[in-house]
Amino acid sequence: MSEPSERKLAVDVRGVTRVYPGLVNALAGVDLTVEFGETVAITGPSGCGKSTLLHLLAAIDSPTTGSVTVAGQDLARLRDPSAYRRKEVGLVFQFHNLLPQLSALSNVEVPMFGTHASARQRKARARELLADFDLSGCEHRLPTELSGGERQRVAIARALANAPRILLADEPTGSLDSVSTTRFLELLDRLGGAGMTIVMVTHASDVAAHANRIIEMRDGTIVPSVPVSAAPIAYR
Amino acid sequence: MGREGRPASLHRYGRVTFFDLIIRNLWKKKARSIGLAAAVAIAVMAVVTLDVTSSGLEQSAAAIVSVGKADFTVIQKGAADTLSSTIDRQELARVGQLPGVASVVGVLVETQNLNANNPVFIEIGIDPGDLASFGVRVIKGQPYGPTAAHQVLLGWRAAANLGLGVGGQLAANGTSNTVVGIYSTGNSFGDAGAMFPLPAIQGYNRVPGIVTLAFVKVTPGTNAATVANRVEYSLPELTTIRTATQFGRADRNLVYLQAAVNGSTVLAILIGAVIVGNTMLLSLFERTREFGLLRAIGWTRRRTVSLLLGESLLLALLGAVLGVVLSFAVAAGLARLPALRGILHPNFTEGAFWRALLTALVMTLIGALYPTTRAALLSPLKALSYE
Repeated sequence: MSEPSERKLAVDVRGVTRVYPGLVNALAGVDLTVEFGETVAITGPSGCGKSTLLHLLAAIDSPTTGSVTVAGQDLARLRDPSAYRRKEVGLVFQFHNLLPQLSALSNVEVPMFGTHASARQRKARARELLADFDLSGCEHRLPTELSGGERQRVAIARALANAPRILLADEPTGSLDSVSTTRFLELLDRLGGAGMTIVMVTHASDVAAHANRIIEMRDGTIVPSVPVSAAPIAYR
Repeated sequence: MGREGRPASLHRYGRVTFFDLIIRNLWKKKARSIGLAAAVAIAVMAVVTLDVTSSGLEQSAAAIVSVGKADFTVIQKGAADTLSSTIDRQELARVGQLPGVASVVGVLVETQNLNANNPVFIEIGIDPGDLASFGVRVIKGQPYGPTAAHQVLLGWRAAANLGLGVGGQLAANGTSNTVVGIYSTGNSFGDAGAMFPLPAIQGYNRVPGIVTLAFVKVTPGTNAATVANRVEYSLPELTTIRTATQFGRADRNLVYLQAAVNGSTVLAILIGAVIVGNTMLLSLFERTREFGLLRAIGWTRRRTVSLLLGESLLLALLGAVLGVVLSFAVAAGLARLPALRGILHPNFTEGAFWRALLTALVMTLIGALYPTTRAALLSPLKALSYE
């Protein structure tokens, strides 16, 4: 029987290591908890293991040892990892990774294949999301016809297509200019304000500043956490 | 047209179905899609052309057994081909004496190289008294006499092809023969040849008393199969043919031809499968990130594989249709070749179209086996970091 406090956890990572072939220790014993509704930024230098941690949360990689539980599901025991990725988490990448042959609207519809949504419902949901992100006029544009910021917003809309409880973002502003980054951060604040759980990996301190909590990683481990009030950067 | 030169139909709708996705992916890589469809089309064309031409050749060869409108035909057992069958006068007489046999007509069938346009001209030696029972109707002129020399009856198709009428001269068998009449049998194979008095054609070919085939009619109320079995039992050196299929089995050359066609079909399918597999593999490598992304955003292995397979099957279908169209053209072209004119009548049947579809499907499925397995086993993480 779980403790009531544990039931609230969106993410519960315990004693996780990840050793890649060639004995590269990407993660060397990571413990992390994230509560539902929290926005957490994972920062750290390149190669510290922050993206690896995000990949484990997205169930596109598995830990060598330890356990990863997301939204109450032990990821090692998932019967259908695809269903988990489809329903529980939304993924946003540094490079939007939109399908170039599809319009913005269709790109947002793609994750909804395999759900019970009809084509009409898929379209309605995609429209709603694009409208939410001020992309109504871009519905029928191909990714090549969108600006970098617009592409990333389409990518977020796609990540939210199946109404996941947790948004996982890997360097979401890494390919954006300052104006697009500002718009993206406004959007992030909106989502966080609406109760979405967000775990993002970022190098950028101004982006991390929008999180409730910053996790710093170094050499595959988490550096003891810094209270928000004591953080050396501005928080909202 | 829509933006960037895309057809409006592919660009207008934001909503996508799985099928739309397949179409758009194929459209995005037009050159490769066309290449793959062309590879399938060529393989299907080869298979269908082989099939319809061999079937046409078999039909042409088998048509001879239906010229006589008999209940069954008798040929020499184990003959390499119909024309090398030999039945002598005694055997013919013994067949005629068997219970249930109403009449036997022995004919000698030979081929003659008339000219470049008619390299395989069919000559049938038959007694004039047997013409009616053989189903021959003289529509112009009159029949030749039983022992008439240098007289010939021309089938109406042959007369039209050669531009000869009654009174004309047909140069054949090293001599000039007067066309005494034009006949019709209602069988295109029979109507494209000529008929000579039996002794004359036996003389020309130095096989006195020999016939190639014997056409048997059974007495009314008698079971033809029973009589045919009786012939085979009484004269084990002979065999009987009641259908074109039986003819195909009796003629060893046709058996070899069919074996060659089957072998070529397997080869064409394998070559096609290799091309399909190679193209799909190339597509998989190029789109590894895309497949990784689809897996990462929740697509199942099955759905990802279905996308790849769906694209290939659609192209296979397109290739099958193209292949059938091409095979029409190629078979028609082959039939016009001087060496094959009059012999090859491509036989396009419904079965040929189904075989084309089956060929394309089998080829695609074999070719898709490895690429789809790789796609199914693709790790989303590795695929996303694939350069």
